[in-house]
Amino acid sequence: MAEKKKRRRADSDSNSASQPFKNLLKSDAQILQILKSVTSSSSSSTSKPLTLADLALSSTCREVSDLSLSSVQSTIESLVLQLTHQILSGQGFSFIVPSRSSSNQLYVPELDRIVLKDKSTVRPFSHISSVRKTTITAKILSLVHQLCLKNIHVTKRDLFYTDVKLFQDQVQSDAVLDDVSCMLGCTRSSLNVIAAEKGVVVGRLIFSDNGDMIDCTKMGMGGKAIPPNIDRVGDMQSDALFILLVEKDAAYIRLAEDRFYNRFPCIIVTAKGQPDVATRLFLKKMKMELKLPVLALVDSDPYGLKILSVYGCGSKNMSYDSANLTTPDIKWLGIRPSDLDKYKIPEQCRLPMTEQDIKTGKDLLEEDFVKKNPGWVEELNLMVKTKQKAEIQALSSFGFQYLSEVYLPLKLQQQDWL
Amino acid sequence: MESESPTETKKGKSKTPKKEKESILKQKSPAEFFAENKNIAGFDNPGKCLYTTVRELVENALDSAEAISELPVIEITIEEIVKSKFNSMIGLVDRERVDEELYDDYETAKAREKRLEKEARAQEIQAKNAALGKKVKEHAVSKSSKGRGEASFYRVTCRDNGRGMPHDDIPNMFGRVLSGTKYGLKQTRGKFGLGAKMALIWSKMSTGLPIEISSSMRGQNYLSFCRLDIDIHRNIPHIHLHEKRDNKDKWHGAEIQVVIEGNWTTYRSKILHYMRQMAVITPYAQFLFKFVSDAPDKNVTIKFARRTDVMPPVPVETKHHPSSVDILLIKRLIAETSKQNLMQFLQHEFVNIGKPLAERLIGEMGPEFSPKMAVKSLTDQQIVRIHQLFRQAKFDDPSGDCLSPAGEYNLRLGIIKELHPDMVATYSGSAQVFEGHPFIVEAGVSVGGKDVKQGLNIFRFANRIPLLFEQGGDVVTRTALKRISWNNYKINQTQDKIGVFVSIVSTKIPFKGTGKEYIGDDISEIASAVKSAIQQCCIQLKSKIVKKMQAREQQERKRNLSKYIPDASNAVYNVLQEMAKSHASKKKRYEEGDADILQKVSDHLITKETLYEKLTQHVEKVDYEMALEYATQTGVREEPREDIYLQSLDGKGNFFDFHSPIFVFRLFL
Repeated sequence: MAEKKKRRRADSDSNSASQPFKNLLKSDAQILQILKSVTSSSSSSTSKPLTLADLALSSTCREVSDLSLSSVQSTIESLVLQLTHQILSGQGFSFIVPSRSSSNQLYVPELDRIVLKDKSTVRPFSHISSVRKTTITAKILSLVHQLCLKNIHVTKRDLFYTDVKLFQDQVQSDAVLDDVSCMLGCTRSSLNVIAAEKGVVVGRLIFSDNGDMIDCTKMGMGGKAIPPNIDRVGDMQSDALFILLVEKDAAYIRLAEDRFYNRFPCIIVTAKGQPDVATRLFLKKMKMELKLPVLALVDSDPYGLKILSVYGCGSKNMSYDSANLTTPDIKWLGIRPSDLDKYKIPEQCRLPMTEQDIKTGKDLLEEDFVKKNPGWVEELNLMVKTKQKAEIQALSSFGFQYLSEVYLPLKLQQQDWL
Repeated sequence: MESESPTETKKGKSKTPKKEKESILKQKSPAEFFAENKNIAGFDNPGKCLYTTVRELVENALDSAEAISELPVIEITIEEIVKSKFNSMIGLVDRERVDEELYDDYETAKAREKRLEKEARAQEIQAKNAALGKKVKEHAVSKSSKGRGEASFYRVTCRDNGRGMPHDDIPNMFGRVLSGTKYGLKQTRGKFGLGAKMALIWSKMSTGLPIEISSSMRGQNYLSFCRLDIDIHRNIPHIHLHEKRDNKDKWHGAEIQVVIEGNWTTYRSKILHYMRQMAVITPYAQFLFKFVSDAPDKNVTIKFARRTDVMPPVPVETKHHPSSVDILLIKRLIAETSKQNLMQFLQHEFVNIGKPLAERLIGEMGPEFSPKMAVKSLTDQQIVRIHQLFRQAKFDDPSGDCLSPAGEYNLRLGIIKELHPDMVATYSGSAQVFEGHPFIVEAGVSVGGKDVKQGLNIFRFANRIPLLFEQGGDVVTRTALKRISWNNYKINQTQDKIGVFVSIVSTKIPFKGTGKEYIGDDISEIASAVKSAIQQCCIQLKSKIVKKMQAREQQERKRNLSKYIPDASNAVYNVLQEMAKSHASKKKRYEEGDADILQKVSDHLITKETLYEKLTQHVEKVDYEMALEYATQTGVREEPREDIYLQSLDGKGNFFDFHSPIFVFRLFL
């Protein structure tokens, strides 16, 4: 008998050794209680978001808006007529394109996102350095004009394949596409050009996609691909307490298979790395309509934080549309540099940062959107100092399900987010 | 010498397995040591031996000619000696094989069967190909791999116009390992007094033939001839013949002839590379390289002509820098010094110690030291104290005056001569210091040229010797590959033909490993000097490249712009056409001017061709304007002129001079 007891104790000892901090966990009901109080307080505090006009910045900053197909069409047409006048008068032609270079970006702390300033560059046809881009711009304009006439959607890839010889590389046609939406003052989705599906969502969410009702708890393990046309998404309903944003596919699969969203009602989203436009629009829409807190689970390296910042403050590449693409108030749940020691992640699961990593980390420390959050600065400083990084998968050293069974519940219980 | 003992015991073991414990204490002469470890001096295998022998002889010859400021003229001849000739040379009768099966290359019946089968098959294929009218490739006659016994022998002869050697010193200069004239602190090619002796040891090991030396010094009316070999066990010369002969032509210099085993086939390219690179770094020398064999098609004769008569100054011997000496060296300097007291010793035996500094140093050494104390009476402890102070105290860096870099001019000439590049830039750094030894880094970077492969071609020189082996670990290779961002200088690292030349000179080159083959990448002083020298060259090149690109842009602008006219006019016209349609069907209303255009599009008054023509006209106009602007900006600019060297003819003074204020025109008759 005594022996049995001993063994059991040894068992539980070894269990707690292999999954440390499990004994700190309270019951799920208690954790849920904590979460509910947080959710109710956060949803009441959200107010109407500020706009550039509120800050009297609309003259010095540029922003685009959703335009209807017909107004996109007529904007293109008047632009083309201007070009025709120029050509016929023998002056060649040129575009005036808003500059999207990093010197033309501005972080506005009040809005907590990056916006585009009003600098523009002239793109003349008759200059050796811009002739190529000018031609591509004209070509893209004419292609978008066709889309407007026919009222269809195509992918960026489709667009590229209309004239591979001219575009040479999809990167070039993609970049010019952004220039065009900037130039016309409309969002990229208004151009009827979409990117291939990348993001997925699973959990306690019901919405309509082009008229079909989707229940994300009944989408199997993989979840529902986030639809590229956000304008066809609507009627969002949810009983979730929070949205969990996951950087990586692997962690997403773990959580989806363990049906984490049934234990703690939530919506799990991932864009599998750098987020695409559709995922960012979708997250924004969820946040705005459901008024749920967004918690982010990213790698403990500079790129994890960078991805987090893209969701939160927007990317420099698409800052012209940051109003539609950014989701304010995302909390950094993990894995944070301080977690490495706090959760005793073994040395062999941590990786030394490369020189490039450290440089990226230091550059991030200079960015305004990091500086505004003292907690983030502290964490990033710690990362740069220890020169160690870790992926979400490092937690698997305590067992594959440690993430869903111990780490996340404990984090939620302690409200340990920044 | 550590490696010595294990082989020794091993030998003992195999020979006398029973008396294991009885090890006899043996002495080894330096010559014996180097004979057994000849790889240390670069004598790894017969091929490398041939290469190193050539190299050592050439370098000695250059040093010798430069020592008397004579423009070097060096002839090097490698003569292949087939086995039968070699045997007759040493008086050995050729023996026919009697017991065929005794030999390593004996072909067993089974092997022959296999070979015949293979040959038959090959012939069949060939016949088939011939029947099909295909071009029949010269079927490579399956070379029977050389058996172990099939050695090739070479007579290597090197003749120079240098200083020559004093008659009585010759035996010791060749027959005694680790004796030499270049031990001082001075930039020389050779250093250890090993090269020529190693060649001799190798000839003794592989052929048993002696070395032959003829030499005469300037103004000497006789010629010394010496035939000798080396007594390896005692490290002393063994003289066969040592006599004075007539010197009819008033020749001065040395001619050294040695017969060794070697391998020309595998080291041919290395030897030729060596000669070529030597010609790059010493353009003021004239080399005649000959390879002679019985097969005339294999013979090689290359003359590397002199391209300049500007010779770098003779490096001077310098004194030691206090931060570079060790305890042993201090003791030796004390033993050799003619100075009496410590004060004078410090002042005269080292560089960069003046009187005030010497006084301060002595004061710092401690109470038991005084300026007037006899330097020879210093105890061991006191010497250690001096050494410690030397290491910690701050001294001025040694100056680079004692060094003799090749010079930018020479380096540039060499590069132009050997590679014929499109562009070349050179840079000579100022003297820097590593562990008390001054060094100078010179670099040249070239782009384009003939016989240059794409990507980086690295040429390394240390004390004006080309380094050919162990390229991977060398500081120059690593710097050029990893630390230079060629893109920044508009140079494409993989596409362009880049030549990188780096010459490092120093009183002590910190070679890595045994042979003098490469300089390690771990010395940050040298690495950063190399990097900045290469970068300086690149900066010079960049402006040239940018100019070239601009010029090319000028030429190609019209074509590049016109290329895009069809695409652009198409794109615009397509939209116009659609608009014209909806205008015609009155779906949409347009303003006056716009409606006018759309009407013309509908009526085919404005077509794709209209836009095309208008754009073409515009491009032509712009091109003309820009060409005009470019021309006024750049103006007529001339490339900087470069000095050229015209080799003087061996005229006997039979000429007329036509004088003009700026030149003299000399007409030889």
